[in-house]
Amino acid sequence: MKSLILTVALTSAVFASSFNKSDVAPVTNELYKKECGSCHFAYQPGLLPSKAWNKMMLNLSNHFGSDASLEEEDYLSISRYLNNNSAEKFMNYKRSAKIVDSLRAGEIPESISKTPYIIKKHRDIKASLITQKEVKGIFNCTACHTTAQKWIYGESDVLIPNYGKWKD
Amino acid sequence: MKLIITILSLFSISFASVADEYLLTLAKQAKSENPKFSGFDTKRGESVFTSKHIGKKGKEISCTSCHGNDLNKVSKNYFTTKEIEPLSPKANPKRFSDIKTIEKWIRRNFNDVYNREGTTLEKGDVVTYIINK
Repeated sequence: MKSLILTVALTSAVFASSFNKSDVAPVTNELYKKECGSCHFAYQPGLLPSKAWNKMMLNLSNHFGSDASLEEEDYLSISRYLNNNSAEKFMNYKRSAKIVDSLRAGEIPESISKTPYIIKKHRDIKASLITQKEVKGIFNCTACHTTAQKWIYGESDVLIPNYGKWKD
Repeated sequence: MKLIITILSLFSISFASVADEYLLTLAKQAKSENPKFSGFDTKRGESVFTSKHIGKKGKEISCTSCHGNDLNKVSKNYFTTKEIEPLSPKANPKRFSDIKTIEKWIRRNFNDVYNREGTTLEKGDVVTYIINK
């Protein structure tokens, strides 16, 4: 009996480490949440490779047309967090792996919305549903992905404003 | 009597809000820039806050585009739809409670709306307006 319990425990431990229920590793840094999440959804760092985060961080005074500049200490701290948690370091998470694998050799995307995987996943949605005022753009994950805050981007949890549930 | 006044003034200094401290620094700076400076003004601040300008993104916006017309209410970022907590410290005590945060947002948001940094007078006027809303 004891060995059975041990076997079950070991097996589930192995499964738990190789299979992640969430699509991408959760956001764990409070400074990141505060600084980046004031203006937009605090995207999980596992949605872009470190090269892309670094490129973005180098141009914070013109961050997609807004001034998102930071004090030196906060800049360094957030850069470090993004680098330590970027997509290529979390390939055991489904969406991180898909995003990294979709990039062409040497490609450094401007944003999560510009990665081939994310473009492909959204290409069948009518443009007017994406540009409508409740959504504004692909960048606005939480407008339709009702469980994005819980790191889950599955289709069954998608609810598009003025449209409803999404079926591929 | 003198003692009471001293005690009272000490009391008010130690309990001066972060916003008051920030405004005091700006007022000193404004005075050194212009000896005729006679204090910040809510009315001018209102115009800084509500007037429209071609912002950094090339769109005509004002501070109210994101912060709304009622500073005691929750509003939405014009570009991202992200919810913004009330700007008035009367409705939201977390506002104007940290100098570093005040300076960061004043710098960023003047750039966003005016496509340049704010002048000392504009900064003092607009903060005076906001904290009294």
